[in-house]
Amino acid sequence: MKRARTVAYWTVPSLVCLLIHWQGFTAWFRADDFAWLSSFDRIHSFHDLLIALFRPQAQGTIRPFSERAFFIIGYGLFGLDSLPFHMVIFATQFAALALVALVGAKLTGSRAAGFCAALLWTINTASVEPLAWVCVYNEVMCAFFLLLAFYFLLRYVETGTRPYKLWEWVVFLLGFGALELNVVYPAMAAAYTLLCARKLFRGTLPMMGVSVAYTVVHTLAAPPPSTGDYAMRFGASTLRTLAIYWTWSIGPAYLETPAHVRRWMLIAGVAAVSVALFGFLALRLRAGYGAALFCVVWYVAALAPMLPLRDHITEYYPYIPLIGLAWLGGWGLVEVWRRGPGGRAAAVALAALYTAMVLPRTVSASEWNHRISIRARDLVEGVARAHELHPGQAILLYGADDEQFFNAIRHKAFPLIGMNNVYLAPGSEKHIAEPAGWGRVEDFILAPAIAARALDLGELQVYDVRGKVLRNITTDYGVTLVESGMPLRVSAGEPLTAYLLGPEWYKLDVDHRWMPKRATLRIGAPAEPGKNLYLSGYVPDALGAVEITVTVDGAPLPPRTVRPGPFEAVFPLPDSVVGKSEMLVAVEVSRTFRPPDDPRELGLSFGVFEVW
Amino acid sequence: MSNVRLPFAAMLAALLAGLVLALAGCNRAHKVTVVETVEETPDKTGIPIAINMGDPKQEKQLVSGFYAIEAKSWRWTAKDFTVSLRPPAGSAAQGATLIFALSIPQVTVDKLKSVTLSASINGTALAPETYAHDGQYEYKRDVPPDALKGGAVRVAFHLDKSMPPSGGDARELGVVARTIGLESK
Repeated sequence: MKRARTVAYWTVPSLVCLLIHWQGFTAWFRADDFAWLSSFDRIHSFHDLLIALFRPQAQGTIRPFSERAFFIIGYGLFGLDSLPFHMVIFATQFAALALVALVGAKLTGSRAAGFCAALLWTINTASVEPLAWVCVYNEVMCAFFLLLAFYFLLRYVETGTRPYKLWEWVVFLLGFGALELNVVYPAMAAAYTLLCARKLFRGTLPMMGVSVAYTVVHTLAAPPPSTGDYAMRFGASTLRTLAIYWTWSIGPAYLETPAHVRRWMLIAGVAAVSVALFGFLALRLRAGYGAALFCVVWYVAALAPMLPLRDHITEYYPYIPLIGLAWLGGWGLVEVWRRGPGGRAAAVALAALYTAMVLPRTVSASEWNHRISIRARDLVEGVARAHELHPGQAILLYGADDEQFFNAIRHKAFPLIGMNNVYLAPGSEKHIAEPAGWGRVEDFILAPAIAARALDLGELQVYDVRGKVLRNITTDYGVTLVESGMPLRVSAGEPLTAYLLGPEWYKLDVDHRWMPKRATLRIGAPAEPGKNLYLSGYVPDALGAVEITVTVDGAPLPPRTVRPGPFEAVFPLPDSVVGKSEMLVAVEVSRTFRPPDDPRELGLSFGVFEVW
Repeated sequence: MSNVRLPFAAMLAALLAGLVLALAGCNRAHKVTVVETVEETPDKTGIPIAINMGDPKQEKQLVSGFYAIEAKSWRWTAKDFTVSLRPPAGSAAQGATLIFALSIPQVTVDKLKSVTLSASINGTALAPETYAHDGQYEYKRDVPPDALKGGAVRVAFHLDKSMPPSGGDARELGVVARTIGLESK
């Protein structure tokens, strides 16, 4: 019987987690996942591997274990099979749940409290995306490292055995490979020792030094953005952000639930649970239990780095902080339960209130994530079939909506299946919302004139993507397509637009094209004055900073200097071209270079030309 | 503090089991799974489901009431005009949507104030629509499955008013037609 209880103690939280998050376990990839998956295809040497693992990416983050290695190894072994990824995610979560129960038991002196904490944590809405959305694995891995390091600290406090301290250090250092949030661990360790094992407080200070050093180096390597959603804004807004995350920690994310519950009732429920938590905290502190305050410190410390992100409030950010509240909540439930029938009724009522507030939202959010990821899968796998049936032809997607665009198309899922030439049909921009800062839908649309020519030449297949199954409508679409003159956007890196390029250009290199010293192309002219010509491409390091000279129908524009790396250059267009059916653009660089083992004289790599 | 010990073996076993299961149970190939698509079937009738007025090859689908192509993209209609279209696949069960892309020129508004367009498919009347301003419009109507039986359907359009012949132009002018088609639901 005792053995069965022990087994149940360690397995029930994981089974409950799997049951509630089953839709997450069976979800596919979506959105940012595709960018990380594509890392694998960019590795051709040890140097590439180091770049892929450690170069700051995505808002300047460096997460070599939880994002880079996870996706590189996963994609290398399993391709676009999402199940192994989710197996690793859930295995890590199960280990974290065991640690939540174990550490909770040690903090509170009650195995039941640790057990309850694990359950309270795993049913919260904040855990949906870390478990279901593969690219948020960094949260799960970070939670595991933080909990394991803290467990070793507790063992060190209990036994005084040095190897535990050593293991705490090892795990703490490894944690930096999971998520930047790991920097808060020394604050947690310091707070715990200060409250519960003061003699060991000084032993946590060297870790503080490591966190400070990591922060300095990270800031130098990847300066935090000063504008946009990820800009850090200090001041009163941090308190507002804290209040929002608090309500999402106690109640459902966004204070929305599929259950027909009025908003004021949710606010009242959050208030009731909050009062109970703080009341229990006060009682524990009066009784001399510093560990109760530590639970709140864990919450605040783990949330603190996200509080300045005023414009990027995200539903899964409370995932790690919540562990502290789960310990306090589990502890409170067990203590109240022990106070007789009245206490038991109160414990059941509070647990039921919390569950009723968060669980429906957790399940519905998991279902939502599953649904949109499966839509991304249907689209990608359908396009893969179209590519099999029509090799060498481009694919035009007709009828794509917001979900398909933001979860697959925008994040360039198709190069993963060997398709670099998948486009949206002209007019798609009318059906896809375009949030500021998320890139332009137009960048993915094939101009009508290019589409019409490709259809005439049999280089393009058109699929209606509005249903679950892709439907080929090439013939019917060709009939209704209305041409609208020369395109205003020409990508030199796409085969369908090659007919607009002059003979100087070199042949296509997968998704880009090199120019020699001078190259020309035809493009539509603006219908009204005040428009610009935008150039985007890449300057190789070997070329260094170069001057670009552009002429339009023979008229020279003010030159621009571009430096190594990706570049964008803007050239105001003269009024003399306004209203013309097309214009001839000539681009010239001030010098070229010849790479080893390549006889070509290379200028810049393009890239897109666009009148805008 | 409780004397609970970390079940290292259990945790390690869970992590290893996950990895082994993943290695054993999953497809190692890099290729993505493919799902079937619905491909076009060769159309034996040769009748399109939509007509681009700028395409001279589709002129045979214009049964009556259309004038010559202008600016390679559109045609004037008469007061009554008819086209022949092929119903899209599955429309005999689910119905379809008739979409007529048209323009109302300023001259029409100046002379007629407004025009009301109505249509019928194989005798089934569709709701009319009135245009009182110049601009580009889509006359879009759901068509019931019963009206879409057979390999081809006739779509007859009617305008309540048209511009009579004037000056050197002997034509009776209705609206500017750009495309007419049936879209599956």
